Amino acid sequence: MGFDLAFALSSVPTILGAIGTTLGVAFVSCLGAAALGFLFDMLRRIGGVVGLAIGFVIDFIRSTPVLAWLYFLYFVLPFYGIRLGSLTVGVLGLSLYYSGYLAEVFKAGIDAIPKGQSEAARALSLSRRDALIYVIAPQMLRNIAAPLGNYFVSILKATPYLAVLAVPEMLGRAFDIASETYRYTEPLVVAGLIFLVLALVISHGVKRLERRLLAVGAR
Amino acid sequence: MPMSLFEIWLGILQGLGTTLTVTAYGLVFAVPFALVFGVAQYLTRGVARLLVTGVIEFWRSSAVIILLFVFYYALPVVGVTLSALTVSAMVLGLNAGGYASQAVRAGLQAIPAGQKEAGAALGLSRPAILFLIELPQALIAMSPTFVNTLIQLVKATALVSLVTLTDMTFRAKEIAQVEYNPVAIYTALLLAFFVVCYPIALAGRWLEARVAAPGSRSSGV
Amino acid sequence: MSTQSQSIVDIQGLNKWYGALHVLNDIDLAVASGACVVVCGPSGSGKSTLIRCINGLGSYQTGTLRLAGTTLGLNASETAAARRQTGMVFQSFNLFPHLTVLSNCTLALRRVAGQSRAEAEDIAMAHLEKVRIPEKAKSYPGQLSGGQQQRVAIARALCLNPRLMLFDEPTSALDPEMIKEVLDVMVALARDGMTMICVTHEMGFAREVADQVVFMDGGSIVDHAPVRDFFGPSGHPRSRLFLNTVLKH
Repeated sequence: MGFDLAFALSSVPTILGAIGTTLGVAFVSCLGAAALGFLFDMLRRIGGVVGLAIGFVIDFIRSTPVLAWLYFLYFVLPFYGIRLGSLTVGVLGLSLYYSGYLAEVFKAGIDAIPKGQSEAARALSLSRRDALIYVIAPQMLRNIAAPLGNYFVSILKATPYLAVLAVPEMLGRAFDIASETYRYTEPLVVAGLIFLVLALVISHGVKRLERRLLAVGAR
Repeated sequence: MPMSLFEIWLGILQGLGTTLTVTAYGLVFAVPFALVFGVAQYLTRGVARLLVTGVIEFWRSSAVIILLFVFYYALPVVGVTLSALTVSAMVLGLNAGGYASQAVRAGLQAIPAGQKEAGAALGLSRPAILFLIELPQALIAMSPTFVNTLIQLVKATALVSLVTLTDMTFRAKEIAQVEYNPVAIYTALLLAFFVVCYPIALAGRWLEARVAAPGSRSSGV
Repeated sequence: MSTQSQSIVDIQGLNKWYGALHVLNDIDLAVASGACVVVCGPSGSGKSTLIRCINGLGSYQTGTLRLAGTTLGLNASETAAARRQTGMVFQSFNLFPHLTVLSNCTLALRRVAGQSRAEAEDIAMAHLEKVRIPEKAKSYPGQLSGGQQQRVAIARALCLNPRLMLFDEPTSALDPEMIKEVLDVMVALARDGMTMICVTHEMGFAREVADQVVFMDGGSIVDHAPVRDFFGPSGHPRSRLFLNTVLKH
């Protein structure tokens, strides 16, 4: 049989047609993971029992596979009468799973700001709110920009997991073609290459961004 | 009679052997790949480095779930028949090895140039400097990263349930077909992975605290 | 009583503990308007802790601390208003790395004093000229040497037009060749009549412009004397011992 290049090329438009779904899922999941991760890190900073509990939740998430979380949400939520589309469940699963990682990104990004920065803001009589908006937040955003970009790539590469929930993203499209034609190799290779190119291009962009931020940020 | 939570958990743990086998077999691919390609990326220049980087990026930057399906379905087409276990271990292992190779390379690059110069001044050959001076320091410094990669590998083995291997995830889905108790089944599945991965994470944290200790052994060599 | 009413800082019986550690022990200190006081002592003697209490960055447990007529720590808005009369310069500069030199200086003018961008920039440029670094206004802190950064930090602190300047070891983090450019700015400021409290080991600076020297050890003020007496033959034996070790290097 071998590899049929013409057939592979003919599958490209169908698979690429789902690139919007793939990128959209990745983007929304990344936002969700960032929001939840930020919340986790803030709650962890409260300390005490709350801090310990949140720390354990983060450890638990990081010790369990994303596939298990997707099954968990997909089958458990309906058991409690919560009926969501598979796309929503997929986005929720990716957001939850990666929030455990982004909580650490926020932790590192905030802890890397020297204590002297907020002290200087206080010595200049800036209000707490102004210190947060003009001194702390911009430095935190700069610290997390590159790791956040790298996690966006990770999330993007995890979107094909949603094929197991029958979400019509690119891997799902590739399997649709495969099951119609009984030829698996070509559509899967095409889907794999598209993901590889996407990941490499975005990673390259993140690296350039990182270099630019470093150039201005030397203390 | 419905299964108790404990019975469900025991049923899932019947897949633990497969999970651990794929992990161990995966390490057989991951460790040599990380060492050889990490060192090669550190030592090579020009076209050779481009080729090395290309191989690393293929395994590291691809979506691992698609890689698994591609090799599972495509290898027989080109006449290579490997068991599902071997294909899974190879794909998951080389993916993890791709990540670890970057830690090896970064660890080698982070060693001060003075170490290499001191080795040369003592009359050591280039391979001797690499194996006796550079690699030991790099591997110790990066050991917490390797532990994290190991956890990622264990978690990635959940994918083998999609190519018919009866790991813990596969067992959970089997049990779900005879028993309608999704809450217990999938909670037990998460717990089963947690029980395997969390001790590794704790060990990694312990390692990190030791490696990060000031005056690490590099100054004493 | 009459000296007290002219004092911008008036500290009586100040005590502070970190757990069991007594870091400030019955501190009494009055600083008159226009005075330049140098605080010195071995590391861990409490001098940085004291200077941080003076503008309310640090807290204390017993005693009273009056800054510009306000007792600190009683009322948050009064404390904040009193702090506005002070400027502080840190050992590690603490410039905001994401803002240009000019924006570092204008931030408080715009957000605290509520001035327009043009007004704030005029004031900031005037102070940057005073510390002789106006040409770096558009640079980022990371592009400056340590001495330049510390001069910017002084300009930033001066922008809100403080009545009292606090210096917390301003030259300790600097390479030797940069210390002088910062001290020159501080000397000029003292000669202009600015009230200053400086934690520093630069005894040349103390000799040149200080009115009084405070020597601290173990959380207490061991010696507090006019500058001539402090360096003279009648100085406190503990201070003389310290001076010998400091002046040797």
